[in-house]
Amino acid sequence: MTLAALLQPRLLSLRNVVRRDRLRAVTVTGLVGLFWLACFLLFTRVLGYFHGLGTFGPFLTQRLLALLFLTFFGVLLVSNTVTALTTYYLAAEVTPLLAAPLSYRRLHHARFLETVVASSWMVLLVGLPALLAYGVVYRAGPLFYAGALAVLLAFLVIPAAVGVLITTGLVLVFPARGTRDALMVGVGLAVAALVVAIRFLRPERLADPSALVGFASFLGAFGATGSPYLPTTWAAETLLPLLGARPGEPLFYFGMLASTAAMLFLTSAAVVERVFLIAWSRAQTGHVRAGAAERPLSRWLAVLVRPLQGPSGCLFAKDVTVFLRDASQWSQLLLVSALVGIYLYNFSALPLGDGTPLALAMRDLATILNLGLGAFVTTAVAVRFVFPMVSLEGHAWWILRTAPVPLAQLWWSKFWIGYLPLVVFAELLVATTNGLLHVPSLVTVAFLLTLVPLMAAVVSLGLAFGAAYPRLDTQNAAQIATGFGAILYMLACLALIALVVALEAWPVSRLLCQARSIAGVAATRTAALLALAAVTGGGTSLGAFWVAKRSGLRALARLGGT
Amino acid sequence: MIRLERLQKTYGALVAVDDLSLEVEPGCVFGFLGRNGAGKTTTIRMMVGLLEPTAGTAVLGGHDIRRAPEAAKAVTGYLPDHPFLYDKLTALEFLRFVGGLYGLGGAEAGRRARLLLEEFGLGRMAGELTETLSQGMRQRLALAAALVHRPRVLVLDEPMVGLDPEGALELRHLVRRLAGDGVTIFLSTHSLAVAEELCGRIGIIDRGRLVIVGTLDDLRARAGSNDGSSPSLETVFLDILHAGGDGRA
Repeated sequence: MTLAALLQPRLLSLRNVVRRDRLRAVTVTGLVGLFWLACFLLFTRVLGYFHGLGTFGPFLTQRLLALLFLTFFGVLLVSNTVTALTTYYLAAEVTPLLAAPLSYRRLHHARFLETVVASSWMVLLVGLPALLAYGVVYRAGPLFYAGALAVLLAFLVIPAAVGVLITTGLVLVFPARGTRDALMVGVGLAVAALVVAIRFLRPERLADPSALVGFASFLGAFGATGSPYLPTTWAAETLLPLLGARPGEPLFYFGMLASTAAMLFLTSAAVVERVFLIAWSRAQTGHVRAGAAERPLSRWLAVLVRPLQGPSGCLFAKDVTVFLRDASQWSQLLLVSALVGIYLYNFSALPLGDGTPLALAMRDLATILNLGLGAFVTTAVAVRFVFPMVSLEGHAWWILRTAPVPLAQLWWSKFWIGYLPLVVFAELLVATTNGLLHVPSLVTVAFLLTLVPLMAAVVSLGLAFGAAYPRLDTQNAAQIATGFGAILYMLACLALIALVVALEAWPVSRLLCQARSIAGVAATRTAALLALAAVTGGGTSLGAFWVAKRSGLRALARLGGT
Repeated sequence: MIRLERLQKTYGALVAVDDLSLEVEPGCVFGFLGRNGAGKTTTIRMMVGLLEPTAGTAVLGGHDIRRAPEAAKAVTGYLPDHPFLYDKLTALEFLRFVGGLYGLGGAEAGRRARLLLEEFGLGRMAGELTETLSQGMRQRLALAAALVHRPRVLVLDEPMVGLDPEGALELRHLVRRLAGDGVTIFLSTHSLAVAEELCGRIGIIDRGRLVIVGTLDDLRARAGSNDGSSPSLETVFLDILHAGGDGRA
C-alpha cells in the first residue's frame, strides 16, 4: 500500500466536504485569506518600521526572526505531541490500518504526515506571511523565497518527530487517556503563560523609539543565549544571508537543519516500527479503577440539585459533571483566565488620567466602547463554552431526544447553565473596567442593566448556531469552537453588540456629560435617559434572544442523534 | 400497545418508509426483519421520536408520538443499534441521569440504577467512566438505561450486536421475562434464529414497504411450503424477499 493510498481517505473526504458545501468552503477560504492578508500587512508594517530605525533597526528585525522561529518551535513541539497522541494511538482509523497488510514503518509515515499537517497549519498561517513580509521589506530575491519554503519544510519535521517520540514514550509508561488529559491542561497552561508573557513585555512601548533601547537589549540578551545547537538558530541563520541582511553560511546551516530533520524522522520511524504494537495495545487499555463506589463529585452534585424539580436537576448535574471531567474545558478555562487578566491590565494601563480635554474625550469614548468590549470578551468566552454545548452532547443526543422531556425544557436547561455564569462574568468585567476608568455610577448601572438581556441574546445565539452547525464527531470543545459555525456565531454577536452600543451611545454620552457638569440636577432627565438606553439596547437584545431561541429550537428538533 | 399508522418517511425522491401500518398487542414480542437499508432503523427512529415522519404516526401505549411525544416516550424504553453514551459519566451516574430524565426521584433513580447494574453484571463497574467500558458492557448499560423507568413498550434495534454468547443468552431470557410481565417488545434484528426463537409475530420490510406480517406459521403458509414440510424462517425470509413482496400484508 503506497503512502498516497493511505492518505487518500483524508483527501477524498476533504474533496467531498468542499463539493457538498461550496458556500462554507468559499467562506472559510475567504476568511483565512483575509486573516493571512492582515498578518502579512501587519508584519510588513512592523518590520518596515523597525527596519527604518537607524543603525539598530536591522539588528532588531534579525533578532525578531530568531524569536519568531523560537516561538513557532515551542508551539509546534507542544501541538505535535498532543496531535501525535491522537493520530497514532487514539484515532479510530488506526484500527483498519493495523488490520491491513501494512508495515509499521509505512503506517508511521502516513500518520506522521497527518500529524505534521494537523499541528502545523496554524503556524503556516502566521509564519508564511511573516516570511513573505521579510522578503518584501528586505527586497529579497527569489532565492530567499525558495530557501524559506525549504527551511519551513525541514523546520516543521523536527518538532513533529520529537513530538512523536515523546508521545510514544508517554504512552508506553502512562494510560493514553490520562496522558491526553494531562497534555491538554499542560497546553492550556503553556499558552496562557505565553500570552501573559507577551503582554507583559508591553509591546506598546515599541511605538516609542526612546523605549526601544530596553527592548533591543532584551532581544540582544535573547540573541546572546541563542544556542548554535538549536534548529531555530539554524533556520534564522539560513534565511538572514538570503535576505541580504548580513553575510553568513546559509548552506551550512540549512544542511544542519535538513540533516537533523531527516535523522529525527528516521529515528521516530525506527522507534515507532519497533514499539508501535506495544504502545497501541497499552493505549487501548483505559485506567480502570474497578470500583462500585460513587464518586465524590456525584454525591455533592446530587445534594446541590435536590431543590431543582423534575429533569432539570439531572440535566444540570450531568452537564456540570461532564464539564468538570473534560480536560479540554480546563485547558480553555486557563486560557480565558489569562486573556481576562490581560484585558483588565490593559484598562489599568490606559493613559487617560492627565485631565486634559483630549484625555476626557478619550475616557468618554473608552467608556462607551467598554460596554461593547466587555460584551465581546464575554462572547469570546461563550464561543468556547456555550457554542459547543449542543455538539458536546455528541452522538448521545438520542438519550435526551427519546426521553419524555420537551425540547424547550432541554433548551432552557442549556440556556441557564450558559447564561448564569456568563452574565455574572460580564457584569463583573464591565463593573471592574468601568471602575478602572472612573466611570460615573449611573452609566455603570445603565451598562449593567443592558448586559442582562444582551447576554441572554448572546447565549441564545450560541445555542442556535451550536445546534445549526453541530460537530458531533469531536468531544474537544476547543476544536468545536474553531469551526465554521463558531465563526458565524462570533460575527452575529459582533453585529448585535455593535448595534446595541450604537443605540446606547447617545443616551450614555448625555449621561456622561450630565454626570460631569450638572451633578444633582434633572433627575427626570436622568431617568428618561436611563430608560431610553434600557429600551433601545434591551429591546434589541430581547428581540435577538427570541429569534435565536426559535431558530435554536428548530435546529435542535432537526438533530437526530444515535 | 404499539400501532403504526400509515407511517412514511421520504428524503426528496427517496422513499425510505412507505405507508407502513401495523399493530402489536400488549405482551407480544414483535420481530421486525428486513435487508440492510430496508427501512427498519428509520421506522424505529420515527417511532421513538428521533425522526419526524413525513406522514402518518406511531401510537405507543395509547399515546401518539406526534401529538403527545412526552407521554409516548414516558412509557417507552429504547435501545439504538449503536448506543453512544456520555463518556465522562460513570455507569451509575449514567443510569441515575436517565432515571431522572424519566421522572424518577433521586433516591428511587439511585436504587433502580444499582439494581439494574447488578442485574446486568455491571455492579463492580458502577464507579467507572463509561468510556472505559468494553463494547459489550456499554451495550448492556444502554439496555439497563432503557429499562430504568420500567417501560410498558420496549423498542430494541439490533440488541444482540456487541454481546458475547452469554450476554445474548441473558438478553433472550430477559426479553421473554419482560414479555411475560406484559411489556410489549418491538425487536429489530438480522438474526433470524433470534426472531424465530423469541417473536410471536414477525413483520418483514423491504424497500420501505411492509411486505408481510403475521405469526411464523402465517409466514410459512404465505411463503408457500408446497411439500408439507416446515421451512425455517431463513427460507421463508428469502422466499418472501425474492418473490418481490407477493405476500403483502
